Amino acid sequence: MMSTKAFTLVSAVEWELLAGDKERVHIECVECCGKNLYVGTGDCVVYHFLLEERALPTGTATFSATKQLHRHLGFRKPVSELRAASALNRLLVLCDNSITLLNMMSLEPVPSGARIKGAVALALNENPVSGDPFCVEVCIISVKRRTIQLFLVYEDRVQIVREVSTPEQPLAVAVDGHFLCLALTTQYIILNYNTGFSQDLFPYCSEEKRPIVKRIGRQEFLLAGPGGLGMFATVAGISQRAPVHWSENVIGAAICFPYVIALDDEFITVHSMLDQQQKQTLPFKEGHILQDFEGRVIVATSKGVYILVPLPLEKQIQDLLASHRVEEALVLAKGARRNIPKEKFQVMYRRILQQAGFIQFAQLQFLEAKELFRSGQLDVRELISLYPFLLPTSSSFTRSHPPLHEYADLNQLTQGDQEKMAKCKRFLMSYLNEVRSTEVANGYKEDIDTALLKLYAEADHDSLLDLLVTENSCLLTDSAAWLEKHKKYFALGLLYHYNNQDAAAVQLWVNIVNGDIHDSTRSDLYEYVVDFLTYSLDQELVWKYADWVLQKSEEVGVQVFTKRPLDEQQNSFNPDSVITCLKKYPKALVKYLEHLVIDRRLQKEEYHTHLALLYLDKVLQERSGANSKGVEATETQVKLQHLLQKSDLYRVHILIDRIRGAGLPMESAILHGKLEEHEEALRILVHELQDFSAAEDYCLWRSEGRDPPYRQRLFHTLLAMYLQPGPAAPELAVAAADLLNRHAANFDAARVLQLLPGGWSVQLLRPFLTGAVRNSVHARRTTQVALGLAKSENLIYKYDKMKLKGSSVQLSDKKLCQMCQNPFCEPVFVRYPNGGLVHTHCAASRHTNPSSPGPGTRT
Amino acid sequence: MRKPDGKIVLLGDMNVGKTSLLQRYMERRFPDTVSTVGGAFYLKQWRSYNISIWDTAGREQFHGLGSMYCRGAAAVILTYDVNHPQSLVELEDRFLGLTDTANTDCLFAIVGNKVDLLEDGTADSQEKEGLGPGVAGGGSSGSPKVPKQVQPEDAVAFYKKILKYKMLDEKDVPAAEQMCFETSAKTGYNVDLLFETLFDMVVPVILRQRAQGPPQTVDITSYKTPRRTRSGCCA
Repeated sequence: MMSTKAFTLVSAVEWELLAGDKERVHIECVECCGKNLYVGTGDCVVYHFLLEERALPTGTATFSATKQLHRHLGFRKPVSELRAASALNRLLVLCDNSITLLNMMSLEPVPSGARIKGAVALALNENPVSGDPFCVEVCIISVKRRTIQLFLVYEDRVQIVREVSTPEQPLAVAVDGHFLCLALTTQYIILNYNTGFSQDLFPYCSEEKRPIVKRIGRQEFLLAGPGGLGMFATVAGISQRAPVHWSENVIGAAICFPYVIALDDEFITVHSMLDQQQKQTLPFKEGHILQDFEGRVIVATSKGVYILVPLPLEKQIQDLLASHRVEEALVLAKGARRNIPKEKFQVMYRRILQQAGFIQFAQLQFLEAKELFRSGQLDVRELISLYPFLLPTSSSFTRSHPPLHEYADLNQLTQGDQEKMAKCKRFLMSYLNEVRSTEVANGYKEDIDTALLKLYAEADHDSLLDLLVTENSCLLTDSAAWLEKHKKYFALGLLYHYNNQDAAAVQLWVNIVNGDIHDSTRSDLYEYVVDFLTYSLDQELVWKYADWVLQKSEEVGVQVFTKRPLDEQQNSFNPDSVITCLKKYPKALVKYLEHLVIDRRLQKEEYHTHLALLYLDKVLQERSGANSKGVEATETQVKLQHLLQKSDLYRVHILIDRIRGAGLPMESAILHGKLEEHEEALRILVHELQDFSAAEDYCLWRSEGRDPPYRQRLFHTLLAMYLQPGPAAPELAVAAADLLNRHAANFDAARVLQLLPGGWSVQLLRPFLTGAVRNSVHARRTTQVALGLAKSENLIYKYDKMKLKGSSVQLSDKKLCQMCQNPFCEPVFVRYPNGGLVHTHCAASRHTNPSSPGPGTRT
Repeated sequence: MRKPDGKIVLLGDMNVGKTSLLQRYMERRFPDTVSTVGGAFYLKQWRSYNISIWDTAGREQFHGLGSMYCRGAAAVILTYDVNHPQSLVELEDRFLGLTDTANTDCLFAIVGNKVDLLEDGTADSQEKEGLGPGVAGGGSSGSPKVPKQVQPEDAVAFYKKILKYKMLDEKDVPAAEQMCFETSAKTGYNVDLLFETLFDMVVPVILRQRAQGPPQTVDITSYKTPRRTRSGCCA
């Protein structure tokens, strides 16, 4: 076990001072009260010394004793016990089974000669119950068998207050309040002398060893137990602290918080009450007295008196920390809480926690270190400053003094071990990441975030980007230099962007895409830049790089215009400017016009015509390139047809001119259709293309939204075309039959029947005929229903009219218009169904002015 | 120092593994332990309560201290070694009497430790470590695996004996099956279950005691003249 230095042993009274010219002197007992030190000897002399303490810079002290007086008590017996009662200025002396009272200063016996007779041992009650400041409570073991007596001792008299008998002969006693702690022959007990209630503690064997009963504080005692144990017991008979382990032959025990000190033949041992560990061992031979007096621990041999000077707790703690005994240091510091003023303690304790944290840190015990840093409220910069170059150059931080640890930097701490270094860095990363959003970071956000950025950049950590795209306090100059050094150009761009320097950011990224500088963070950086520009509010910047993005890829680059938020597209990115810009980039232009016409549905002839012409150009170009009549229409051709069909805005004539002779029958059919030239359109479809379903679709398409007769006309035109005599007549006849059967409702059956050649079978046209008949019947019936309904409605109105005409209305001067309250001057009036009469002009104005009161409500 | 709200005491013959059980639970490890001198205790925060857990010395020499440790205990863990039937007998003969000083509503748990040494052990540890001669019972001395010598029914029977001894009605206390455990401090088998089951049971006891207030006054009516005890060690 490593030892702590908690005490130093210094001499107080030397042998020569006591013995003088005598040959033999034997110290029997000691008492210390303030500066007064009393020594009782075997030859019945009491000595009085004054103690002078001199503090040493090392934290300890030396003592020198000056002899004041000595007095021989006049017996041949040794002085067995001394107790000072400073409030009374009395020294209680037990000698020859009798306690006498001496003046503390003159050592004269009190004139009254008051004494307590028949005492074997005595104890003072340090937690008195009488409440009288002019007396002390003394408890003695009487010479009478199994008897304890309690006395009140005044300046010059004594008074017995109680006699208690014990179950066995008492050998040692200590007292606290009403509680006596007694070592009997075979066991320790607690006896409440007020109630008589006795509580067994535990057995021991008085024949084998001397009992120790020592009050250590309010209602708590320390007892020598079996097996060399120092047992703690409260007056309730409970042990609240784990025992300390002494040697078997302990003679005496004392308390000097937080230590229990024990004396045996050869050593003084020091145990901590906080963790029960033995902390210090001092060799000390032939000691036979160990006692504490108001915090001062005195130990004596028969020939000399010594003082155990405690080292200041802070010094002890620092010693422990210096030998990296973190746990013990913390336990000691915590235990010292109640002995140190609160504010001072908090400052001290925080510092200890921090120091302990660094010790754990240096041992790479990061979990423990983190907890200590957290509870010690460490200024994070202390930790950051261990890592070279992490703190920003602008940081005003200086390490606390005295230093919290012994390390200059991480290199020294890890002694250059790269693996350890990496571990430390990983720890700092996670630690900073944890604290950056807590109050720990208050005031040092720049330092923390900049350090974190540096760590991430160096370690090539993914979180670098997360840090930069979220709220952060990274310092620009420091971070920029660092990112550049580690070639994190993409991240550097993000940093510039965060600091509102988008131009610098984009320039950097463009350089990466162009391959001028290398950073492989993003393989899709080009798309990223396009996206960035799309949402950038800096118009100049967008225009500046528009050419660059379009040169890289027309289709993707055009997104900076097409995906831009709409409100912006109306201002500086209006279509005309964009189209001008896109002149050189046909693919992009098509995309952009598609965006205008299809996505945004802009109803501007120019764009529609332009787009149609671009499509057409492309189709023609593809035609000439492929040079073969493709069976399938190309994608562009589909788009063109779609546009031609759906849009009503493009200039048809321009397109017809362009298309003429180009071999695009479908497109020309559509264009003719747009010009309402249905005969021509259908001719192309039927005769040139022979695409009958297209012809049918054409009829449906062109009649969309028109009235049924218009549609009928179209279908009849088509039917007529099918029935025309010609070389392809048989095929067309089949088409005609199909058309009729499929679209029965779109024909006027009567006219169709006249047109059809007589040779056609009814079976052939059965679906058409059935449909036609059904339609006809249906039309007739619905008309009949409508007629019936109209007739009955008419009847209702007739009835109303008759009713209203049934009575007459008389106008006179007294009848006033209910609206304007004026009389009627003309025979014309308006009568409301409820009978109210108003002027015709009033009735008219009532409808225009709804706020005027209605006559219906008046009556 | 934090003041404990309740106390749990581990009792049992020497070498049954009391210290190891406690260290396994508190420190999550199974170190070599030396024979406990006197006693030791840990403070465990359980929800908002501080529970002190006392480890006692099983050696005969320290037997006399047991009553004091048990005084005011809210629960007592009586520990035996499943491989040594005598250790269960000792619980009844020597240790049950020590619990007279515990609270009247004290809970009792019976724990058979070292199941890892069993042939068909529920805890499965094949490794065997030869431990030095000075090492106390943590669980696994180098002895070969043996058939189980103490059956769970024996522990249940003992639990019922305790109730009889305390003159408690079975209806008023937790069922035997709930309070008898078989554990291995070496593998950690059932160790958390043991302690945490007890903590959960002790908390209501603490609350009940708080509601009644601390026994500040001594009840004179129940005062009995102190019993003359025979000499503990100098017989």
